[in-house]
Amino acid sequence: MRWATRAGVHVDRAACAWLVRRFVDADADFVFVDDPDEVPADATPFDMRGVELSHHDDHCTFETMLSRFGLDDPVLWDLARIVHEADLADDRFDAPEAAGLDVICRGLSMVLADAQVLAVTGSMFDGLYEHRRRALLLGRDPA
Amino acid sequence: MLLAYRLPREPSAPRVTVWRKLRRLGVTQLVDGLVALPADARTREQLEWLADEVVDADGEATVWLGRLGSAAQERALARRMADAVAVDYAAVASDAEAAASEPDVARRRTVARLRRELQRIGRRDFFPPPERDGAHTAVERLAATVSVP
Repeated sequence: MRWATRAGVHVDRAACAWLVRRFVDADADFVFVDDPDEVPADATPFDMRGVELSHHDDHCTFETMLSRFGLDDPVLWDLARIVHEADLADDRFDAPEAAGLDVICRGLSMVLADAQVLAVTGSMFDGLYEHRRRALLLGRDPA
Repeated sequence: MLLAYRLPREPSAPRVTVWRKLRRLGVTQLVDGLVALPADARTREQLEWLADEVVDADGEATVWLGRLGSAAQERALARRMADAVAVDYAAVASDAEAAASEPDVARRRTVARLRRELQRIGRRDFFPPPERDGAHTAVERLAATVSVP
């Protein structure tokens, strides 16, 4: 399936793309557009104004996707806490990891094209997922 | 970047929420229902999400890319935004100075709180005023007096 989002991906879109590929559509193809009108007819848009898979009611798009796709894995919701703060920084959650994640994603988008950003952040979110999975199992941060 | 918006008078909750969010973004209000931020990818995105929120609350909102008619007006607007954050920085500096006489444990908590506050101010500081350095220096000076646990 094709998925479309705004060009110049940042943390929320990178996290969503990782989520889609890993939990929703393993063969996902991503298209980056500058304007919502440029979304190809066969693509599912996300993290853009006026679409279903986007910010809603104080939720970032990653949180919206978890709800809409019925993903109730507690590890994913723990990642959502971090992505939310990295994206919105509204102090809704305690997420000390967020500031670092925000800076890393901003830096990557300065030196890489969008498709490459997704490749790099894909591994990053794999690692973050594993770290939070172990943390939830152990009840503390893994060594 | 300009956001022109209008929200119904009632209910008042969305009005307050939107106003708080605008404040956190560091907008400057030009007239009622028209606010401005320097244009970059991040501010554009943030104003667009807020515009959606206004529309969801049965209001009207449009996001504009605008340019001021003269460099003097541009400087005046930047100055106004700098003055607004300068007040916030000055408050942090005076809190840091007032905390110097607190006991060690309280000073450590104050340092943590003020560092977070500086981060929050930094996110809405587009034209750093001289007070910025003063506030950072005051907090780090206070931090230097806290013993490592």
